[in-house]
Amino acid sequence: MAVRSGPHEMSEKGHHNAHESSSVGVGLVSSLMKSWRISSSSSSSPKAASDPELSTSRRSSQSNNDNNHRTGAISLMNDQKFADSDGNFDAIAKQKTSTIRTPSASYSPMRYMSPSNTNNVTNESPRTSLLRHNNHHSSTHTLTHTISNTTTGNGREPSSSRHHDRYFKDLDEDWSAVIDDYNMPIPTILNGGVDSPYALSRKSTTSSINTTSVRSTSFNYPQLPHIQKVDSSDLRSEEELDAERNVQELNSMIQRIAKFDDILKNKHIINQQQLREISWNGVPKIHRPVVWKLLIGYLPANTKRQALFLQRKRKEYRDGLDHTFSNQHSRDIPTWHQIEIDIPRTNPQIPLYQFKSVQASLQKILYLWAIRHPTSGYVQGINDLVTPFYQTFLTEYLDPSQVDEVEKLDPETYMTKEQILDIEADTFWCLTKLLEQITDNYIHGQPGILKQVKNLSQLVKRIDIDLYNHFQKEHVEFIQFAFRWMNCLLMREFEMGTVIRMWDTYLSETSQEITSSTNSTTPTDPSMPPLTPKEQSSATFVTPTNDSFRSPSSATITNNMNTSSDNSTRIRQSSLNEFHVFVCAAFLIKWSDQLMVMDFQGIITFLQNPPTKDWTETDIEMLLGEAYIWQSLYKDATSHWL
Amino acid sequence: MNSAVTSIKLVLLGEAAVGKSSIVLRFVSNDFSENKEPTIGAAFLTQRVNINDNTVKFEIWDTAGQERFASLAPMYYRNAQAALIVYDVTKPQSFIKARHWIKELHEQANKDMIIALVGNKVDVLENNEDERKVAREEGEKLAEEEGLLFFETSAKTGLNVTETFVAIGEKIPLKTAGDQETDSNGVAISDEQRIDLANSGNAAGQTAGCSC
Ligand SMILES: Nc1nc2c(ncn2[C@@H]2O[C@H](COP(=O)(O)OP(=O)(O)OP(=O)(O)O)[C@@H](O)[C@H]2O)c(=O)[nH]1
Ligand SMILES: [Mg+2]
Repeated sequence: MAVRSGPHEMSEKGHHNAHESSSVGVGLVSSLMKSWRISSSSSSSPKAASDPELSTSRRSSQSNNDNNHRTGAISLMNDQKFADSDGNFDAIAKQKTSTIRTPSASYSPMRYMSPSNTNNVTNESPRTSLLRHNNHHSSTHTLTHTISNTTTGNGREPSSSRHHDRYFKDLDEDWSAVIDDYNMPIPTILNGGVDSPYALSRKSTTSSINTTSVRSTSFNYPQLPHIQKVDSSDLRSEEELDAERNVQELNSMIQRIAKFDDILKNKHIINQQQLREISWNGVPKIHRPVVWKLLIGYLPANTKRQALFLQRKRKEYRDGLDHTFSNQHSRDIPTWHQIEIDIPRTNPQIPLYQFKSVQASLQKILYLWAIRHPTSGYVQGINDLVTPFYQTFLTEYLDPSQVDEVEKLDPETYMTKEQILDIEADTFWCLTKLLEQITDNYIHGQPGILKQVKNLSQLVKRIDIDLYNHFQKEHVEFIQFAFRWMNCLLMREFEMGTVIRMWDTYLSETSQEITSSTNSTTPTDPSMPPLTPKEQSSATFVTPTNDSFRSPSSATITNNMNTSSDNSTRIRQSSLNEFHVFVCAAFLIKWSDQLMVMDFQGIITFLQNPPTKDWTETDIEMLLGEAYIWQSLYKDATSHWL
Repeated sequence: MNSAVTSIKLVLLGEAAVGKSSIVLRFVSNDFSENKEPTIGAAFLTQRVNINDNTVKFEIWDTAGQERFASLAPMYYRNAQAALIVYDVTKPQSFIKARHWIKELHEQANKDMIIALVGNKVDVLENNEDERKVAREEGEKLAEEEGLLFFETSAKTGLNVTETFVAIGEKIPLKTAGDQETDSNGVAISDEQRIDLANSGNAAGQTAGCSC
């Protein structure tokens, strides 16, 4: 990914602000960046500056930024100041460069900052504008070696550099910082510090290579093998590292599981806020079914009520089915049919979705949802969105050793009919909850999607004006590629496993309002299920009678949605939708350098088939982390959003 | 052989699941998949063929068929020079939908747009003619009334797929070096031998060198 700051963006203003910024006290950004510090080139050590490999400048970037007052350098603080409130953000002339491949975990501690901190940044507009240019840098330490590697060969004028010798040390410390936030024991940390970036480099290599070959004259994409080499030869053999890495991964997994256990087990009321915070960074497989149900606001936080609640919701679903498929109800043939056509076309590459039992389940869920929501009805894409829930909830019924086989096993072989119905019910309700947050995406004209696409283009215009202009020049319209990104929440771009990891974060981003309404309902009225405002307005989904599934009541939802309850809908919609736009922006700009040299056809073809099918969880975590940082930095942008 | 390449912007329209994407996949990659994911929004693909010594490059927008996405369609057919309106010969409803699209294009689209009406999935009829719900004559008649090309195709077997595109290519004025053959409209009968299928590998692969 590159943030390209053209001359216009890199104005004197940025430079000027640089000085101010260091005086800005505690702020989200400084906390965000934790131990990162970006310093001006003046701080470059001569030693580093003389090393061409470490130079971050190059001719082409200079000509691009000839208005820049200086070229920049990034250096890492060499001491451990996690809580350092004084992030020294000197301006850096942003170069036409740099992709971040950031270890996802480095974002984790930043995820939930106190609102006051957030405000600091948001209000500090000069700072924000400054950071716009630097956000990548400040957000990541891997960036540093990114630059040093990618510059090789064309950075002959080392006008900037960094403290090379500090690199590894910093890295270790930073990683420990990250892991520390997970409450990891110290010994674990140190190894993690070594091996994680290492693992990262392995993963990024493929993509770096193909980027570089596309555009050999400029450096764009991180190339980490260099570091890797130093790393391995200096320290240990690969096998040793590998083994240690495995141990590490195992350790950290165990730690995480324990952390989740801590939040979930033996609690009367589950702390939703804590759960969101930790889940943002990924949910262990064994906890996922329950955690998702909690995050989406389906399962009550009050554990004493959960069993009864599930029982009732599952019954409600069955009653709904009975009613829908009884002769009192006339089948909506076109809808039924459309779903029927799409079922075998859903995730056709995954065997699970070719099993008759699964297809029958999904057909029922989607059909019931569609007739319950006539303003939207069944829209293609919803068939994609239902599957992560279904697949995840299935794992609850699998032996832990078989969880990874879920995509291959026919549920009928390990579940009873009753259990399958329960899964369907849970899936149905969670899908309902999810779609509530994005209703506007599927109603007539799909205004939600159009808005998101518009917001995406505006965001890219601010973050990467060169790319934006290039699209204009090539007559590429955002809707031509981003429509699907919005309609399917980027599900079509990634493998299911990656999508599911992404959903850990997305579901943690679902409206807090739902949660808070849940929380407030819980103590006062323990007999009632948690209600979202919309449910309250319709009251449909809480009465467990056949009547509740009649269409007229859902017509009420419909009307409300377009009129009075519009506001509440809007508020509740903000978080997931907004975050998703940032993810899309991060995703798009990741390919910025490649896209810049493509024509219309190349751009569209590339974006419709991005090389992301082999993305791992690490890749997606980096993307999410980038999106998060941008959301923090561009908070002000969203206030103008539609 | 002419060096000039004529680009033809073509859009596919038609009800969901009639096989639009499958037709394009067959044309572009000579491939077929039993279960193709529904198209969301629209997909862009390209393919080059040689028609009467001219290289024609199709720039194809394959739109999503579901009604909910229909409001996006104008964006894709607005500048198109050609359209395939596809229906499924086993689905009468899809033929009704095809009529709607014809009407909409006549009203909204480029007046000289070359339109082909395409009845797809005829392979299904091979074993069981009862499956046919839209008579060939019905399609032919509609095409004639509306001044459209007409083909019955199978994306599955490949029947008439390339032919459909070639027929469209032949009706579009070509950019030729000497300009002598500006309009090849019906002059030269398509000779399948001339279709350069060597080029039909993969659209993405052709992207790099292309400047249009
Ligand atoms: N037997 C047969 N099946 C076909 C043929 N063409 C397409 N199909 C099948 O019909 C289904 C739908 O095909 P698609 O190409 O996705 O249809 P589409 O018109 O692009 O659908 P949307 O993208 O939803 O608008 C797929 O399962 C295809 O395998 C054909 O010629 N014969
Ligand atoms: Mg399609």
